[in-house]
Amino acid sequence: MPDESILSDEFIRELINVGEVDILVGVPTHNDARTVGQVVQGVRAGLLKYFPRARSVIINADGGSRDGTRDLVCAASINDTVGSNLPALRTLHSISTQYEGPPASGTALHTILAAADLLQAKACAVISPESTSLEPEWVERLLRPVIREGVDLVLPVYRRHKFDGMLIRNLVYPVTRAVYGCTVQEPYPSDYAFSSNLGSNFLNQDLWTQEQGRHGTELWLTLAAIIGRYRIYQSFLGTRGRLESPPSDLVKAMRETAGLLFCSMDCYPAAWKDLREPLPAPCGGCQPAVSLEPMRVNRKRLHQMFTFGISQLEPVFSSILSTPTHEELKRLATLPENEFELPEPLWARTVYEFAAAYHRAVIGRDHVVQALVPLFRGRALTFLTENREAKESEIESNIDKVCQAFEAEKPYLLQVWDGGK
Amino acid sequence: MPVQQDALWYKDAVIYQVHVRSFLDSSGDGNGDFRGLAQKLDYLQDLGINTLWLMPFFPSPLRDDGYDISDYRTVNPLYGTLDDFKNFLEVAHKRGIRVIIEMVLNHTSDQHPWFQESRSSRSNPRRDWYVWSDTDTKYKGTRIIFLDTELSNWAWDPVSKQYYWHRFFSHQPDLNWDNPAVREEMWDVMRFWLDMGVDAFRLDAVPYLVEREGTNCENLPETHGVIKDLRTRLDREYPGRMLLAEANQWPSDLRAYFSTGDEFHMAFHFPLMPRMFMGVKLEDRKPITEILKQTPEIPETCQWCLFLRNHDELTLEMVTDLERDYMYDEYAKEKAMRLNLGIRRRLAPLLDNDRRRIELMNGMLMSMPGTPIVYYGDEIGMGDNINLGDRNGVRTPMQWDGGWNGGFSTADPETLYSPLMLNPVYGFQAVNVQSQKRFDHSLLAWMKRLIKIRKSTAVFGRGSIQFLYPANHRVLAYVRKLGNETILVVNNLSSSAQAVELDLKPYKGNILVEMFGRNVFPRIGDLPYLLTMGPYQFYWFKIRRV
Repeated sequence: MPDESILSDEFIRELINVGEVDILVGVPTHNDARTVGQVVQGVRAGLLKYFPRARSVIINADGGSRDGTRDLVCAASINDTVGSNLPALRTLHSISTQYEGPPASGTALHTILAAADLLQAKACAVISPESTSLEPEWVERLLRPVIREGVDLVLPVYRRHKFDGMLIRNLVYPVTRAVYGCTVQEPYPSDYAFSSNLGSNFLNQDLWTQEQGRHGTELWLTLAAIIGRYRIYQSFLGTRGRLESPPSDLVKAMRETAGLLFCSMDCYPAAWKDLREPLPAPCGGCQPAVSLEPMRVNRKRLHQMFTFGISQLEPVFSSILSTPTHEELKRLATLPENEFELPEPLWARTVYEFAAAYHRAVIGRDHVVQALVPLFRGRALTFLTENREAKESEIESNIDKVCQAFEAEKPYLLQVWDGGK
Repeated sequence: MPVQQDALWYKDAVIYQVHVRSFLDSSGDGNGDFRGLAQKLDYLQDLGINTLWLMPFFPSPLRDDGYDISDYRTVNPLYGTLDDFKNFLEVAHKRGIRVIIEMVLNHTSDQHPWFQESRSSRSNPRRDWYVWSDTDTKYKGTRIIFLDTELSNWAWDPVSKQYYWHRFFSHQPDLNWDNPAVREEMWDVMRFWLDMGVDAFRLDAVPYLVEREGTNCENLPETHGVIKDLRTRLDREYPGRMLLAEANQWPSDLRAYFSTGDEFHMAFHFPLMPRMFMGVKLEDRKPITEILKQTPEIPETCQWCLFLRNHDELTLEMVTDLERDYMYDEYAKEKAMRLNLGIRRRLAPLLDNDRRRIELMNGMLMSMPGTPIVYYGDEIGMGDNINLGDRNGVRTPMQWDGGWNGGFSTADPETLYSPLMLNPVYGFQAVNVQSQKRFDHSLLAWMKRLIKIRKSTAVFGRGSIQFLYPANHRVLAYVRKLGNETILVVNNLSSSAQAVELDLKPYKGNILVEMFGRNVFPRIGDLPYLLTMGPYQFYWFKIRRV
């Protein structure tokens, strides 16, 4: 049963007017007026171009915007009073609701899932309001595999800048691939699509009152699909635009990624410990996914934060890490910036030891996750240095090397998981 | 109950379209005839219709079901004699039923004596009655209408060694309306029938009368000039008679055929019909409201003619490519169901023989602004035979009973002009008038009731329309109003039950009286009026102050 209590009466009234749909496109927002209009127009163009006969709806789950975001979404409606000059067979409702509580992408997704369940949407896509480079084709590439080929989860593959998504490339992607046996390049997606089957299953999971139901929920969805052995597909979407935005909070990002990965490993050990067969996730239209525009990075600051972290968190690391790993990291902290390198095998072992420490709750689990932040900075510095002059193929090969290291160290994970440091 | 003398009678008409050949064969030769049609006027009167539209009944080689006329001034012997027609007309009028006949102005059969004379030599006095050319390159910008059969609008005449112009089949040469002699002759033909008492003409293929180089040869000012001239003569000599335009055009182009009320009295609203089917299949009112919004106002004395199906294919010329593809995929899955740019199927098979959808579509037909036409056999849910060529599959004999030839004819079945429907779903033993007369809830009985209620008020024929736009797009709602009388129509286009909230504030304090059961519904208050509707259900409410 959908959790309709999270849907307001007014929103349910609007959903009644929408009725059963084939496609639901959800757009989670919070003060995104700068970009959401363009994104929603692109979504609408995609629906009209590629799914003109489908009963579709755009649903905006908003976290309390005060900048007119919701009005911009609603303006994408096509009915017999507005937008009638567009080549649309059908009415297209584009409606907005403000969910309860503070802004959180998980709460937005919860709202979208509940609406999709109520409307019996056969396929559901979620599009980030920041996907300003969205082309109508994105809508097709995300939804068609669900509608036509019975895929349960379609994840995006973007052409990203070589230094974009460092946490994904150095941690989330390699762990997902090595631990769960599923090669998905963007396990924590901003733009994705899923089937009603997966959506309903996910909606009915007991996570909405927990942290993973508020933040990092998209990654949890991917992990749920992998663990549930759902059919997964990846669609190349093209370049994902970068917004001028303040630097993200790395601690928060670590909680939403490593925190959730560790949590899922802890909750579902059977899903990865005895894994024999990898779960395929074919990629449609995949192309080299790296762009090489120059970018300024403050490597010195990364180095400082790594060495500072090693010294400041000594007692924490002592309780999390094995002695050899800890000693090796301490040794790296003594190296000057130009000689610094945190190699892939050491990084893989470090992450696995953190995962095991999380599992055993050697200290507060949130502290475990937070303590990984300075170490990740060291790994990021290594990646930046290593790929400073690299070409497309070299970068892809280097990312693959990270994954291979995690795969090679998986027996080590099994060893440390229950066996102590 | 003789016909009433009201100049605007066509606004209140409920028209029944029938082919004499298809209705009842009184002579046993396998073809329906006027005596047979006259015998069935009781049935038609009982059905409630008050106007008959007859398809062409003139002598013809019948290569286009009579639209290829070879003599305009008599009756095809297959259907009887001129006296039979006169008798039929008299009896129809006595029953209060008016009669519209076809007048094919644009072209004749190539067997018509006029064309035979015209082609006999280039110097023949009737040479200029048709459109001749040494080349087949004139009027290049003109589309070909029958794409499935014709490659050009010109055909080579080996007799006089010139090309002749034809907008339809090559055996239907176009008359030359630039020739005053043609104009006089055709008016004389019309007078011939008007003098007999015919109430109206359906003028076939009117946009194509005149050709001009550098144009698409449709809707030309000169063509409007021809129509204005005919209308002037009609009003002067035969007041109260009516002209109905067959012009498959967009509403904005059609508007010109009403002019200031001095061309046609009525015109078919072609683009609305496919959109009604589309709306029901999409479960979305948008196609219907959009085309009606694009429909311009017409003069007070003019009227739209509405239909669901007729003797032709369900035309898809006035839809977009996207819409046409959708219609083909949804309503003509088999190639054999498609013809030209359309779908050659009857109402019941188009709607999967779903009684609820058939009722909904007829409910909309009878409640929208215009004069409705019921195609013969659709009142009992007759089927079609897509194995017959051209549009003959929707022109099979009327199914009167479950006996010999479905009660249509006493002839041997092999000699019928068309095979009867025989399949277990739509065959004459399953679908016929006699069996439906036995049940109060048959489609026939329901249609009678619908027509009776439609005729109980002038609002539907003459009233204004105002669309309500409830947030539920599956519900099409409108208010029809004439004087103090107001009717609310609510149609659920969806296959599932729907809740809809209607903004009826302007009628606050009134009650609704459902017109079929005469039951009273709650008073309209401050809040939106909530209705729940079953699948494909429709309501007609009188809005009444208590």
